[in-house]
Amino acid sequence: MKNTLWTVLLGALLVLGFASAGYSEVGVTDTEIHIGQWSPQTGPAAPWGAVARGTDAYFKWINANGGIHGRKLVHHYFDDAYNPAKTIAGVKQLQEQTGMFAWASGVGTACGLAVRDYLMENKIPWVGPSSGSRHWVTPPQKYLFNVYPLYLGDAQVLTEYAITKMGKTKIAVVYQEDDYGKQGLEGTEYVLKKHGMELAAGVPVSLSDTDMRPHAMRLRQADADAVLLFVTPGHVARVLGTAKAMNYEPQWMSTTTCGDFPLMIAITKGLYEGVITASFGLAQPTGNVGGVEHINDPRLERLAKFKTEIFDEFAAPDERWGYTFNAGIGFVEPLVEGIRRAGRDLTREKLVKELEKMKDFKGLLGRISYGPYDPEDPLCRIGQQEIFLQQCTADGGSKILTDWQTTEFIPMSE
Amino acid sequence: MIDFLQMVTSGIAVGSSYALMALGMVLIYKASEVPNFVQGEMALLPVFIAYMLIYTYGQSVFMAFFGALIFAMLLGCFLEFAVVRRAKNPNILGLIIITIGLEMVLLGFVSWKFGADQRVMPFPISSYSSFMFGNVYISTLDLLTLVAALVIMISLFLFFRFSKLGVAMKATQQNETAARLMGIRTNRVKMITWGISATVGTVAGLLLAPVFMEPYMMWDPLLKGFAAAVIGGMTSLPGAVFGAYIVGIVEHLFGGYVSMEYKAVVAFAVIVIVLCIKPSGLFARHYVKKV
Amino acid sequence: MDMKRNYYEDIRLFSSGVTFFWFVLLMAFLFFYPFIFKNYYVYMANYIAINIIVVVGLNLLVGYTGQISLGHAGFYAIGAYATITLMTVAHFPFLLALVCAGLIAAVFGFLLGLPALRLEGPYLAIATLGFGLTITTVIGRIEMLGGRQGLHAPDLIIMGHQLGTDRQFYYLVVIITVLLVVFARNITKTKVGRAFIAIRDAHIAAETMGVNLVLYKTMAFALSAFYAGVAGGLYAFVLRFIEPELFNLFLSVFFLTMAVAGGLGSVMGPIAGAIVLSFLDLQLRNILSIPYIGDWLRHLSASYFSLTGVSNIQFIVFGSILIAIMLFEPLGLYGLWIRMKKYWRTWPF
Repeated sequence: MKNTLWTVLLGALLVLGFASAGYSEVGVTDTEIHIGQWSPQTGPAAPWGAVARGTDAYFKWINANGGIHGRKLVHHYFDDAYNPAKTIAGVKQLQEQTGMFAWASGVGTACGLAVRDYLMENKIPWVGPSSGSRHWVTPPQKYLFNVYPLYLGDAQVLTEYAITKMGKTKIAVVYQEDDYGKQGLEGTEYVLKKHGMELAAGVPVSLSDTDMRPHAMRLRQADADAVLLFVTPGHVARVLGTAKAMNYEPQWMSTTTCGDFPLMIAITKGLYEGVITASFGLAQPTGNVGGVEHINDPRLERLAKFKTEIFDEFAAPDERWGYTFNAGIGFVEPLVEGIRRAGRDLTREKLVKELEKMKDFKGLLGRISYGPYDPEDPLCRIGQQEIFLQQCTADGGSKILTDWQTTEFIPMSE
Repeated sequence: MIDFLQMVTSGIAVGSSYALMALGMVLIYKASEVPNFVQGEMALLPVFIAYMLIYTYGQSVFMAFFGALIFAMLLGCFLEFAVVRRAKNPNILGLIIITIGLEMVLLGFVSWKFGADQRVMPFPISSYSSFMFGNVYISTLDLLTLVAALVIMISLFLFFRFSKLGVAMKATQQNETAARLMGIRTNRVKMITWGISATVGTVAGLLLAPVFMEPYMMWDPLLKGFAAAVIGGMTSLPGAVFGAYIVGIVEHLFGGYVSMEYKAVVAFAVIVIVLCIKPSGLFARHYVKKV
Repeated sequence: MDMKRNYYEDIRLFSSGVTFFWFVLLMAFLFFYPFIFKNYYVYMANYIAINIIVVVGLNLLVGYTGQISLGHAGFYAIGAYATITLMTVAHFPFLLALVCAGLIAAVFGFLLGLPALRLEGPYLAIATLGFGLTITTVIGRIEMLGGRQGLHAPDLIIMGHQLGTDRQFYYLVVIITVLLVVFARNITKTKVGRAFIAIRDAHIAAETMGVNLVLYKTMAFALSAFYAGVAGGLYAFVLRFIEPELFNLFLSVFFLTMAVAGGLGSVMGPIAGAIVLSFLDLQLRNILSIPYIGDWLRHLSASYFSLTGVSNIQFIVFGSILIAIMLFEPLGLYGLWIRMKKYWRTWPF
């Protein structure tokens, strides 16, 4: 009697849980492929919500052009307000109620790590987490494909450039107190050590702090001639403004996060001119070192095409054509390419196999390569390892300073 | 020594914006006896209205700021009239939750209307120019904030001392029943107090906006203003300003000499120490309840 | 309600056979819940149960003793970090680590209770708020605790069984929640509970009656912190990854909101508050998928507001609900329930 009850209940559960799978693979039907994504549309991290809206417009554009092998991409993105508890809730709801074939991008290190085990245990592919954290590849996971170059790399290339090309001797770091900031600090110290140099000053910034005067003063006291900023655009604007008011103007350097020059020029009222940032794409450095590019430059063919065909057609009228929106396209291009290569008989295993075969795939970002899964080798899932440096011009254009530079992977110390 | 002077100067500079927030909080605490968590957002909405007046309706900066201050006055009055006054037998916790609810509504409204994009407010004075006294810098904007804080404190003092409305407000705060019996419309007085408080907060917001604007820009000043008001005793206007400068200076000296990591929270340690010695803050008379 | 005739009736766990019946029914429902609902709802139940633990504990402090705390995220963080660290470094089994984490949080609660002896109202609010912010800053500095890079939770093994799924975790959480809620309910009926209430209603009068203020106020803080610590330990295993920034001021405010909006000074109130507000917190993001209303909101956004910020409607709805609850019923959801019960009991008069 008891056993019958259990069987009935379990049976009901199975029906309820997996009823949505009409095709042999979850999230794939004859006409649709379901892709999920989370992003903060509300809360202090809301500026990064544009990533998901960029992906959304990109998928709509693909669908308008016939989809992939006769299937439309159905994009489910939800707001998690940068709160991991909500990320888990949303991911589980979509995965178990609707059934996602794969997950795309997803903003936030803590949010991603909260669902990583769930996705990996259920063998659900997840491509292009939108943060450059080492957690994605230590240890590498079979179904998790990183796209975003690690923050460590930004720090390495920037520091190397400041020392060797610009002859800077006193290098300071302003870092926000999280994974992003700490990796920046570590990468900088790593390169400084190679050159036998010491960090001039490491100034931590608390995320909620809006008063940057003591930080600017600490930098001025240390008399640093190059300062790397591993903080958000808001804090960059505040640090630059405060330092300028103190007549302290070192060579500021920052990461891709603050590499949206039109935006940065606007919110710093022009102070951003001359700032050097790393960048993981959205420009063509090869054969163009020394040239100036704008985000709407017609020479950037792929970007110009996306502007007219994706942004103008499918983005909300109050959306901004900026790096965050574009990155939302760039992070999922490998996923779309993988699905395309996997062909009509789409399964998750096939997608993983195709992604593993991917070599030097070039979309909006730098070249992306993966390798066969090896639990010992983080590089098989790291994706992009190349970045280049650009300098901001007075009108928000990018002066290309270097060609693509391959960065070094520094394993996490225990 | 130069460093020390610079830190104190910067501390005073940042203390001025805390002082404006603290003044607003104290005004409302005296009127409605609630730590007002919507203080920051009562300033945020008018600041974004000013931004909209400039960019959407092409008004000059002065007109826009003037409009924002008027709007803040109306907003403060409206919140008291439409929400806070309607609370049924309010206790302090219930009122705190109501102000938190209002905070969410206003914040949601601003983020809904303006999105999450980072912006910056145009301002007649460059945010990046500065004065130099010897080797000590103070930015023009900071100096303006300092002047604004002092002017507002003095005019509030004069207002409470000499104007009829100000005296009525003081009477309402001291004994509401007696004030009502003397023919003061205490409800209206409370409403206007909220309006004034929102206007004072908006001044702080307008002076912060030329550096950076986003929907969450008022949280940090709000907390620090709250801390300052508590150090000053929560019911004393000079106490609030004094507390704000203490918070600002301690933060900067601590950030400069001891540890930058703890700079953001050191103010609260100061509070605990101050409160352990004087449980009702520095400036308020300790009130002993009769049994 | 019913007249109580002697003390033993007052302290009985179940005031009548009917209550016992409902309790058994509730237990049965809780037992079968994971079989009836999908895994996602089981996750939600876990999240809500953990919030219930915190809020019931917070209610002992805020509702019964009349203190205020805007720093409970701090205790929550201590519980989460202590549980994981005790398990990975000292190799404690999970349940022992969880209890120890609760006790560590309780020690911090006791320490915070000391300055709180002299403070009340907004002064206490800002002191506890400072505590919450300081704890996360301190944790962020300690490299052994993962610093700002965060900490992964180890596998959860209880008596040789690994609890990997939400369903397995559910039973653990629900058993702990029921035990702690019953414990809290019993405490309010004892000498300790009556001392708490006496302090809340008139602390000077209580002192003259022989209630030891120092003991009971610090005890209220420690007890409340214990609850938050245990909940934090469980939360660490829901997220499986923790970092200091998770335990921010918003979380403290959210806990207090749940306690007050649920109804202070009762056991059922905070539970109702935790269930309703946690549910809203998790589910309001779907507001745009509601038929008609969602379309209308999108249309409204396109015409007068911004489409990119449309999700912020969540805040407006959540805030409005809070305001509405507090405006119409100062006793929160529990007050609403009492009023409804009274209305139907005396209907049609």
